[in-house]
Amino acid sequence: MFQITDIPRILPEILLLVLALLVLGSDIFERWSYTDASRLERVRASAQLSTIGLGLIFIITLVQSGYLYTLPVDAPSNFLTNILRNLQAGGPGQGTISGAFATDDLTMIARLILIGAAFLTSMLCLDFHPTSNPAEFYALIIFSTIGMCLMAGATELVLIFLAVEMTSIPLYILAGYFGDKRSSEAGIKYFLFGAMSSAIMLYGMSLAYGFAANALGGNSTANDLTQLSKIAELAGEGNSLLTLSMILLIAGVGYKIAVVPFHGWSPDVYEGAPTPVTAFISTASKAAGFLVLFRLLTVAFPSLTGSANFGEELGGWTSMMAFLALITLIIGNLAALPQQNAKRMLAYSSIAHAGFVLLGLVAWASPQQFDRDQGTIAIVYYLVVYTLTNIGAFGGLAMVSMAVGGDDVRDLNGLARRNLPLAVLLAVSVLSLAGIPPLAGFFAKFYIFMVGWQSGAWWLVIIALITTIISLYYYLRLLRAMFIEAPASLEPVHAPAGMMTAVGVSVLGVLLIGIFPNLVLGIINRVQMVAGL
Amino acid sequence: MGLITISTDIPWLSLIWLSLLVPSVLIAFIPDTQQQLMRIVGTGFAFISLVLSLLIFFAYDPKVAGFQFVERLDWIPQIGITYLLGVDGISLAMLVLNGVVIFTGSLMSWNIESRAKEYWIWLLLLTTGVYGVFVSLDLFLFFVFYELAVLPMYLLIGIWGSTRKEYGAMKLTLFLMAGSAMAIIGMLGIYFQTGLRTFDMIALARNVTMSAEYQRIFFPLLFLGFAVLSGMFPFHTWSPTGHVAAPTAVSMLHAGVLMKLGAYGCLRAAMWLMPEGARDWLPIMAVLTILNVVYGATIAMAQRDAKFIIGYSSVSHMGLVMMALASGTQIGLLGAVLQMFAHGIMTALFFSVVGRMIYERTHTRQLPELGGLGRVMPFAAVMFILGGLSSMGMPGFAGFWAEFAIFIGVWERYPLIAVIAALSIPITGAYILRAVYSVFFDEVKNPEFLNLPKLTWQEYSGALILASILILVGIYPGFLTDMINMGVAPIAQQLNDVIVAGR
Repeated sequence: MFQITDIPRILPEILLLVLALLVLGSDIFERWSYTDASRLERVRASAQLSTIGLGLIFIITLVQSGYLYTLPVDAPSNFLTNILRNLQAGGPGQGTISGAFATDDLTMIARLILIGAAFLTSMLCLDFHPTSNPAEFYALIIFSTIGMCLMAGATELVLIFLAVEMTSIPLYILAGYFGDKRSSEAGIKYFLFGAMSSAIMLYGMSLAYGFAANALGGNSTANDLTQLSKIAELAGEGNSLLTLSMILLIAGVGYKIAVVPFHGWSPDVYEGAPTPVTAFISTASKAAGFLVLFRLLTVAFPSLTGSANFGEELGGWTSMMAFLALITLIIGNLAALPQQNAKRMLAYSSIAHAGFVLLGLVAWASPQQFDRDQGTIAIVYYLVVYTLTNIGAFGGLAMVSMAVGGDDVRDLNGLARRNLPLAVLLAVSVLSLAGIPPLAGFFAKFYIFMVGWQSGAWWLVIIALITTIISLYYYLRLLRAMFIEAPASLEPVHAPAGMMTAVGVSVLGVLLIGIFPNLVLGIINRVQMVAGL
Repeated sequence: MGLITISTDIPWLSLIWLSLLVPSVLIAFIPDTQQQLMRIVGTGFAFISLVLSLLIFFAYDPKVAGFQFVERLDWIPQIGITYLLGVDGISLAMLVLNGVVIFTGSLMSWNIESRAKEYWIWLLLLTTGVYGVFVSLDLFLFFVFYELAVLPMYLLIGIWGSTRKEYGAMKLTLFLMAGSAMAIIGMLGIYFQTGLRTFDMIALARNVTMSAEYQRIFFPLLFLGFAVLSGMFPFHTWSPTGHVAAPTAVSMLHAGVLMKLGAYGCLRAAMWLMPEGARDWLPIMAVLTILNVVYGATIAMAQRDAKFIIGYSSVSHMGLVMMALASGTQIGLLGAVLQMFAHGIMTALFFSVVGRMIYERTHTRQLPELGGLGRVMPFAAVMFILGGLSSMGMPGFAGFWAEFAIFIGVWERYPLIAVIAALSIPITGAYILRAVYSVFFDEVKNPEFLNLPKLTWQEYSGALILASILILVGIYPGFLTDMINMGVAPIAQQLNDVIVAGR
């Protein structure tokens, strides 16, 4: 049952909702007219409000999580400690809310990743001016963030579906925001594929529900049949209906996280959407999708785990993940090779990166709890790193395309001579994507390889390594354009302060948690306690 | 007791690599116009790093042997990764080599004018990585530094290089990264199959718990992964292209130090940690290295570009190093490490003569177009000939002792291979003499060569340092051999034990 004391546990989501409404509402009080100056003023006001708001919510969530500082039980009572105590009372732990929403450490960390990504995205948008309806633009980002946070914590089928839709619908609009040909194409394509995948997912859910009701002989009046842990409990030794439901669910979520063969929409959408929105879609929405997938598979279908060991009989979702990871890595990286458009190239690279995360899920093929926990930690670490890195890369690209007017690889030519700091930031992000030590991308990949290997999927690790080498070629192409090729003109590239800060923060993060992975690993280690396991 | 005593409270080894990381950050904040300042900062810190390596070299206590100046910090304890540094006789020789080459290399870089800031940043970052590899004793840390040394190379060659630079840079990077992917597999193999769940090489070497079967699987991956960087056949093709494309200082570092990283990795990671795998695979590796040695030398004969000659001669000489490693005998390993040192210094000298003194002035390296430069720049001629003599293995030069030890070591285990490899000695003599003749002694083919600009003090001092080390080690190799011998002894001993046990 939902109780009044549960409210602090969903405080971040409530605050996000308030912020979104504030952003929408405050726009009314701005000066409306059709001059450019007044439009800019409205854009600035909304952008600043949402950036500051998201920053504050991030801090509140961090305080609430108690990862940096947990109030000791015997702390004296005063005004400050009372606030802190009440806040942290809603911190991680304590079961699920009505069986539908878990506020465990995984959700808490996911909130930090997602709100952080939204914060950096809106900072990128400070200087990236949406031409019309600025308030809606920022409010949609925040609405979408609420959906993602709910996705990360949802432990029940209906809430999962609602959260996915809550995330996706704002993103469809954002992708098509520019209204030009490519942006509209992105929006409509994203929408059609998204609607399709939702239908598939919903069908999978209905089968799972049907299975659960059937398992109880159809005479149950319980209303908990959509809960993931309930499904697992009823599943017993597995059953073909449940397997079908699982496959459909994987396919549905697969669209959201753009793994091959469900990736068809993503290059066009990433290329057509406004670049900061691309950064947001490719990081936050993907991260949330992975967490949904993780909870679905591990909580609802433990009986169908199977094995991905070479030579053993394949079966269950780990071998399915291994297969998806295999084709995702190969196709994602190979398809990125011939791309001439930098944004599209990064889109394929982001598809390939999804393959690495799937490799982390394969860790569940191992029967040992230790190995599985390592897998979870590796996935979450990868998501943190990937989010930071990709926001850096797309943010840098956004600045270049704003100044140069295109986002082809050749538009990056000679960037080092036109704006060295920007080129270095972009290069660090790209190298982290490529997995070059000591950047965070390297350790993230290495960790994933380790957990993949220890779960027995060493053959997949070897293939992943080979594709990493292939991927290096196209990452180096970006580097070559920036540092080696001659620039089209020597005119300096203007880098707006807000965007520079956002990219700088992500790159700093990539460096810091690459050299000192323990900064975040210490926190991520807590995700072992996942609700319902 | 070493020759000198230094406080053990100071993290000397960290200071060494930091002494190059710090200036690369500092230089980023120097305004673009202050090129002279960048040169002074870069060279100054390179000198500091050289001094630090010499300090450690002389403070190392030969009586105690083993690893000294050990620094240990937890890095990622959950998965057994530590920040573990330490030096033994092998790393000491390599440290000094790297110090000398980076210092002379930065002297040779004073003529870089386009985008000088970036140049110095990447150059110093590269050597940071190299120093790091030679001092790290944790496999993961080793690998991190190793990769750090590879990537700046791409930009250095791509931006400041010559002759098909983009192709050379891309080829080099992809080859080396493919090598490191193989090395990662080997690393994971060691990590999991030993069951120790640590990357600490000392711990891994102390109790080799990996079964012989797994060692057989993972040894070639780790060995070849690093051997790519040392230019071992059939993975050598990147190396001449890369050498030729690179700017002078980078060629010096590349052939002088970076290729040694590969051989060092083979010795330190593969052979040390997997003796049984080594026993079964080394004969095959030895056969492959014949191709390096003989074929590399033969190809060098046929080249017209002076830098290609040196590039292929490096392939041939590194082949000797790998062959000596493959022999696995103590004297062979001693020869291998000594050859790494001698060849590093010698190649650095070659490249500074050909790449800097000659090419920067004549703008050609084609043998038929050069000629008679001995009259114009006698100093360069002398230096090149000194390097050449060492390369041919003339007694009195460092190269002699190295090759001598190598051939003894290889003879002990594979007499036939030693005989075939000895063919390379006359071929080496032939191509070196041919190069010397057509560059320095033939008639002057281009009258403009008579009025070339004078050599600068940086060129003089850099080349003199290198040449005097060649002669110094040639006259008294005991400087190095004692140290190196102590370093290789445990590895050779371990290898010998398993070979005896296998009979």
